Amino acid sequence: MDIAAGILDFVYIWGIIGGLVALAFLTFGIDRIDEDARGAYMFRVLIVPGVLLIWPLVLWRWWVLETGRDKWPLRHAPPRRSHSAVWIALAVLIPAIFISALVLRPTWPAHIAPERLEAPIQ
Amino acid sequence: MSVKYIPVQWNRNKWIYDAIVLSAIGVFLWIFIHLTPGWLSHERPINAQVHNARAFGACAFAMLTFILCIGPLARLDRRFLPLLYNRRHFGVITVFVAITHAGYILDWYFAFSTSDKYEALLFANTSYGQLIGFPFEVFGIFGLFALLVLSTTSHDFWMKFLTPRIWKALHYMIYPAYAAVVAHVGFGVIQDLQNDLFTWMVGLGAGVVIVLHLVAARHETRAGDPSVDAEQGWAPVADVTDIEEGFAKIAVLPGGDRVAVFRMDGKLSAISNACAHQNGPLGEGKVMDCLVTCPWHGFQYDVRNGRSPAPFTEKVPTYNLRLDGQIVLVDPTANPPGTPVDPIPIPVVDEART
Repeated sequence: MDIAAGILDFVYIWGIIGGLVALAFLTFGIDRIDEDARGAYMFRVLIVPGVLLIWPLVLWRWWVLETGRDKWPLRHAPPRRSHSAVWIALAVLIPAIFISALVLRPTWPAHIAPERLEAPIQ
Repeated sequence: MSVKYIPVQWNRNKWIYDAIVLSAIGVFLWIFIHLTPGWLSHERPINAQVHNARAFGACAFAMLTFILCIGPLARLDRRFLPLLYNRRHFGVITVFVAITHAGYILDWYFAFSTSDKYEALLFANTSYGQLIGFPFEVFGIFGLFALLVLSTTSHDFWMKFLTPRIWKALHYMIYPAYAAVVAHVGFGVIQDLQNDLFTWMVGLGAGVVIVLHLVAARHETRAGDPSVDAEQGWAPVADVTDIEEGFAKIAVLPGGDRVAVFRMDGKLSAISNACAHQNGPLGEGKVMDCLVTCPWHGFQYDVRNGRSPAPFTEKVPTYNLRLDGQIVLVDPTANPPGTPVDPIPIPVVDEART
């Protein structure tokens, strides 16, 4: 229970920091690093949930763009080549998961009729 | 195409696409809830909350399965490209269906104790050391988290901000997410069901996704864009007579980038094959008035400089070309996006032969 509460606290703190990052990034940061965002405000509402979830990545990309470290050739090199390898791995993993689930599925004795339990006597 | 970002770039096709998706969801839920309780082990008395949770869960799984089929189908047959056109909206709607499923589960199975329901979800079953009775909820939590990341980073802004490489890498989460969803269903509801129809539906659905991706990967290897090697700094990509007027030949350069070499008005130009919008295959588009149109979402680029026509601002890299007889040679080192390159004329003698 303590671990569960700790995980939820972590999520809560993550969200608060994400909210602060979203506030800073979407009020002035985004205008500095993307010309298409200047004068465009309505779309920023749709960006907020993404910032909440991946704010460390947002901070890193903001820093890269602000400091001129962005490498343009990388913008045009999507990682298509790993696609086949991923699906070969999934072609093994997904059936393994599914078959394991079927093998482990319990079978109940068909001849035993279900019995309704009575509420405990107070 | 956008000069400035807008929330959603609606057009008539997207309205139709979304209307079909929403109608299909309505039909699926209606069939699941009202027509087929006997087929899906709902003959036992379960309450509306559980019934709805199963319906929305099954719908989310079916939608995710269908979404994962769209990519390989479009690669295998261009007639499936319209399904790809608005796949992002399809994905976002899937997330809402999955959240509804999670909401019904939380508000029934975890709502009637003094503990916080989210906390109860995490500590109610912690048997991580055994397969029978494994806390399958954790697979669903991961799947939902991955879908949330994907849907909330689906706006065009994110692709430009993160770069296609990082954005695509992030969106690779869809694959472990699908495996997690299969595990969530397999170690969850399938453990309980005595009726095998739902089990078959899940098994067949996942099987179709796997087979389609493997077939598409094999197709790309055998009939996809050819890889070329550079000789003395230049890579031979095609015989000039093989390039049809108004179209392109695509080749994979030694560094892994794809180049599209276009022929228009008896001249050749080369740009990156990856559209700056969503990395659609520009080389599969047609050139008209020096503008190639991306077959995925209609973004246009001047093949002579890699720039979208004003007022649009998208740019892709260009490549230098030269001819060695009939062979088109490409300098594998791309020019910065939007760099003008003079088209090279095809010798008249070659034109006559084509």
